[in-house]
Amino acid sequence: MNFFETFFDYIKETYTERLLYFPSNIRVSLLIILFCVVATLELYLYMAFRRLRQANEKLKFEKWQEYISNMLANLIIFDESDKTEDIVGHFYPKMKKLPLRNPIVNKLLISEMLVYHKNFTGKIEEVLSILYRKLGLDQKSKQKINNRNWEIKIEGIREASEMGISEIASEIIKYTDDENALLRMEAQAAYIKLSENDPFHFLDRAQERILDWHQVVLFEIITKNKKLSIPSFSKWLHSPNDTVVLLCLKLVEHFMQFDAAEEVERLLKHHNSRIVKKSVEIIGKLELSDAEEHMFEVYFDQPEEIKLEILNALGKISSGNYNDFLSSRIYSNHIRIKREALYAIKRDPEKGESRLRELYHQTTLENQALIGHVLDNRIKS
Amino acid sequence: MSKILIAEDEVLMLKALEFKLKKDGYQVDVASDGRQAMDKVRENTYDLILTDIMMPFVGGMEILSYIKNDPIKNATPVLLISAVGLENIVLEGFRLGADDFIYKPFNLNELSVRIKRYIKQNVF
Repeated sequence: MNFFETFFDYIKETYTERLLYFPSNIRVSLLIILFCVVATLELYLYMAFRRLRQANEKLKFEKWQEYISNMLANLIIFDESDKTEDIVGHFYPKMKKLPLRNPIVNKLLISEMLVYHKNFTGKIEEVLSILYRKLGLDQKSKQKINNRNWEIKIEGIREASEMGISEIASEIIKYTDDENALLRMEAQAAYIKLSENDPFHFLDRAQERILDWHQVVLFEIITKNKKLSIPSFSKWLHSPNDTVVLLCLKLVEHFMQFDAAEEVERLLKHHNSRIVKKSVEIIGKLELSDAEEHMFEVYFDQPEEIKLEILNALGKISSGNYNDFLSSRIYSNHIRIKREALYAIKRDPEKGESRLRELYHQTTLENQALIGHVLDNRIKS
Repeated sequence: MSKILIAEDEVLMLKALEFKLKKDGYQVDVASDGRQAMDKVRENTYDLILTDIMMPFVGGMEILSYIKNDPIKNATPVLLISAVGLENIVLEGFRLGADDFIYKPFNLNELSVRIKRYIKQNVF
């Protein structure tokens, strides 16, 4: 008898014939040991099986990936003279034969089509969009959008947005004000791209915040999309949602929408200091001289940052109506206010510098040094 | 047959470009990251190099800078591919000696024509 046989016989005997004769604490311990050994073996078996399955899936994945990427690479290298219908007609039957119900194939095909659609323009873009619809992948994107899981919803929204499936815009609108910030952001970006009639409708119903960095994303999409017809954003400057107002102010500024002047002036009395600051910036940039009086009215109630912005805007407008006010700022206790006011005076191309020289002779030594600094054209403001 | 190196970390794009340029009759060499591309550039001579700007390990700008500072290879046309059209990146590319900039998304047939033109210029 070898060692293993003796060992297994001993174990067998322990658990069959001798178990009942052990004291109860030993019996319980033996049963626990048996349970642990069986559980460990099961765990190892499960792991081995799982790894085998993963390796098998990986193999399948690689096989399909190779096949699909070769097929799509062949699709996109057609001759420029080929007609769109001919290319679609040539590749559709081949793609139709793919087992699209297989999740690996489905996922691979969609992701690769999206990559090519995103990176190439011209006929390739058109052909891929047609094939996407013909293969019914647009319906799959729609199903994803209606899925309960928000991550799958986002996946569907991204697919629809990239492939330009405009009819899905009506499905997406409900998510543009979702409480999940990521879903909301994806939906808003996609809605702008997909809605044909009213791409900014989501702003009418936005109650949730549009986060700062998402404002940057939306700003990029809106300003770079040449197909988009740009409305007057003054319409949303009344919105009770401060983040909508801020985004629209940035757009008013970018598109130089002078028709929004009245609304921008009204916002100088807004409770949100960021909105007030942005409004002042716009007034300065668009040189809205009618707003000078309103800025003067609110000046003394503002924090230093906004005061500086107002002085800067007055300088940009340079109407001359508030020269005395600007000159009087030199007696402020804040050096930045003094400096900004002096630069604002200097901005008047006709009388600015001479006014500063006049001021120079009427003020303290400290202020004279500051005026000298502002008058030095080698120093940039 | 003109020899082209394509350096691009996006596997699908690399494949598409490889297929297209092979179809156009070029001998194509590919690199899926900057380090591989740099090794190939050091060891071989190409008639044109098409490289993405953002790649792992070594970027397209570094490859460009290496080629344009090499007295033997500096006549090789280098075309940069980028998804970001930021002014400072474009200017930096041209300052380093890039021959052209291709912005994603781009038209593959237009790229093909541009490559043909650069290779012709280089031959004569």
